[in-house]
Amino acid sequence: MAAVTPLNLPRSFWLALLPAAALLLLLLAPLARLGFAGFSGEFNALSDLSVWQPWQDDYLRWRVLWSVAQAAITCVLAFVLGLPLAWVLARYEFAGRALVLRLLMLPFVVPTLVAALGVLALWGPRGLISGALGINLQDTPWLLLYGNLFFNLCLVVRAGVDALGQVNARQVAAARSLGATPWRAFWRIEWPAIAPWLMSSLCLVFLYCFAGFGLALVLGGQRFATVEVEIYSLVAYELQLGQASVLALWMLLLTGAVALGYAALEKRLGAPARTAPMARVHPHAARQWLAVAGALAVLVVVCALPIFAIFIKAAYALWAGASGIFDAEALAALWNTLRFSAVALVAATLLGVLHAFAAQASVVWRALAFLPFVVSPVTVAFGLLLLYPSWTASLPLLLAAYAVLAYPFVAKALSAGLDGLPAHLTQAARTLGASPWRCFWRVTLPLLAPALRRGMAFAAATALGEFAVTLFLSRPEWATLTTLIYQRLGRPGQANLDAAMVLACVLMALALLAFLLIEWPVRERAAVGNDGHRSRVGSGMTMSH
Amino acid sequence: MLKLRHIYHRYGDQLLLQDVSLQVQAGEIVALLGPSGSGKSTLLAIAAGLQRPDAGSVWFDGVDISAVPPERRGFALMFQDFALFPHLNVLDNVAFGLIEQRLAKKEARAQAIHMLEVFGLTALALRKVWNLSGGEQQRVALARALITHPHVLLLDEPFSALDADLRVALRDEFRSRIREAGMATLLVTHDATEASAMADRAVRLVAGQLVPDCNGAAG
Repeated sequence: MAAVTPLNLPRSFWLALLPAAALLLLLLAPLARLGFAGFSGEFNALSDLSVWQPWQDDYLRWRVLWSVAQAAITCVLAFVLGLPLAWVLARYEFAGRALVLRLLMLPFVVPTLVAALGVLALWGPRGLISGALGINLQDTPWLLLYGNLFFNLCLVVRAGVDALGQVNARQVAAARSLGATPWRAFWRIEWPAIAPWLMSSLCLVFLYCFAGFGLALVLGGQRFATVEVEIYSLVAYELQLGQASVLALWMLLLTGAVALGYAALEKRLGAPARTAPMARVHPHAARQWLAVAGALAVLVVVCALPIFAIFIKAAYALWAGASGIFDAEALAALWNTLRFSAVALVAATLLGVLHAFAAQASVVWRALAFLPFVVSPVTVAFGLLLLYPSWTASLPLLLAAYAVLAYPFVAKALSAGLDGLPAHLTQAARTLGASPWRCFWRVTLPLLAPALRRGMAFAAATALGEFAVTLFLSRPEWATLTTLIYQRLGRPGQANLDAAMVLACVLMALALLAFLLIEWPVRERAAVGNDGHRSRVGSGMTMSH
Repeated sequence: MLKLRHIYHRYGDQLLLQDVSLQVQAGEIVALLGPSGSGKSTLLAIAAGLQRPDAGSVWFDGVDISAVPPERRGFALMFQDFALFPHLNVLDNVAFGLIEQRLAKKEARAQAIHMLEVFGLTALALRKVWNLSGGEQQRVALARALITHPHVLLLDEPFSALDADLRVALRDEFRSRIREAGMATLLVTHDATEASAMADRAVRLVAGQLVPDCNGAAG
């Protein structure tokens, strides 16, 4: 039933035109340019730099190996903590469970810099906990690992809860009646069913940590910064474009390999089948209550405390009479953040809607929506610098980059919504006299509105928290809240740290607004959408590292 | 009178419909029997204009309507999952087609309320459709289909989602309502009992071709 336009090209071709151009010009071409620079050594005329240099030089090798190691350690920690947490949330029914599941979305909208400041507020110099305990975690790997866990634990837990919800209760019952203990039934029935989902979420965790920038920049310090930070300092401070492009080439290859693994895993995961889900039990034994309490405690320590810490620090700074925080510079940054995000949101919504409708016809096109998720913003920004040297520090380029990084959220959420939309509904509308346009307006759009709102809120949160690209491509007068927070962190003195905390608080409030839009309880719609079409938005979503 | 003429349709490598021709008179109910996957629903979608056949034409009252889009055919199609719009309440579901005929919302709702009265559904007017029982959903779907006075009613396994008792009760109710409305009706089913209970005559789709069904014919 391919709809055909007068020029004899499928309609999806025309829909895909704009998003394809954006992906090509703002993502693929810059990456290709960067790869070429790294491979050809065009910036290395004066030195004898080779493609293998990152593996020959002790310092660079440490950077690469540490980048891999911190991502791998985060994966292990997130898995070891996340699986039991997911199990408790999926199998026990307790007051507030639904709220906890909603709150698990929170880290998805928290800007990286806010998270980094949250970790500092707890464990940094004069942090709430480190100060009280009298310990100093500066220049240890723990700050970065804690920050990584803040973002990624929730991702693994959500993926785990979703996966456990798809375990077929009848299979488990059959195993039990065939003599399996609950523990054996878990390993022989539940684990094989959920393992692919968990592995796929761990692939994402690895990618985010490996390609992450903001956390590593603020929390890594001199010794435990990652390759992304190294690339940034080589470009921005040392002007060593040759070395930076070789490193970026290796980053591209490594992330590409993991992303392919992720894509292969995702492909093997079929659409969730309609199963009889396991019934949740009310905990009654002390042991079970202990499990629930333990799970909540871990979530509070890893995911909630950093956010509370920022609010406490900011409130304290304001109460102590920190004046001059909201100076002209801060207000300008706030204004920039708001207007850049608004423009990016409009553009991202347009691109996302077009992409989602085009992707209905093509699997490849659907996979392409993941591209901006898996490439690191630092590599994109660096590639843009190399490809369009005359356009750097131009506002349209900056905003276009914002839009391209944010639009996959809209595309993904809408695609999931469209998949869940029964074809019969639109067909019924057509036979009842609605033209294609009226049918879109009266049936498709109202039914997709929740998905669209969700996608737009994620896109807005991404734009609000954008950091890496702004740092590379922006001019001083275009400082946003994130870059201003980073500037304040770099200046000496308690007053600047206080100012950073207050600004982070403001940014957090904006992100919270986006979060409320996403998770504001909507009346459950039993007939379509929520029935058997569990959107995997949570497990597939990312934040702008 | 609805006429399907020499319809051919291919699904992948399989020739689903092979020179299928069928006529349904006004006021007549014709049952279309066949196992699942035999192309019954495809034939219905072709009649409704939701799918273009590879070859062949669809005629109504002597006019070739093959190129007419579904919304301008004035045919009502009822699905086995009822396809009620979940974002609209019962009343607005029933009024949907009238609003597409550019009736003012107030007038459309007034007519829909009258329709609901006829169907004994007045109490459900403001309910969300997913709160209804299977039988209630089915009645709402029929009310929604009949309110625009369609020329042709196309029913795709309308009772298969219901339990046995309800199926028998609704079958009789539907039959009398369709008779009152006097439309050409094509009923797709895989159930020969249903075909004999509801239809004036039955045809069977076998290997892509229509053959008269001796068992299903009833008076």
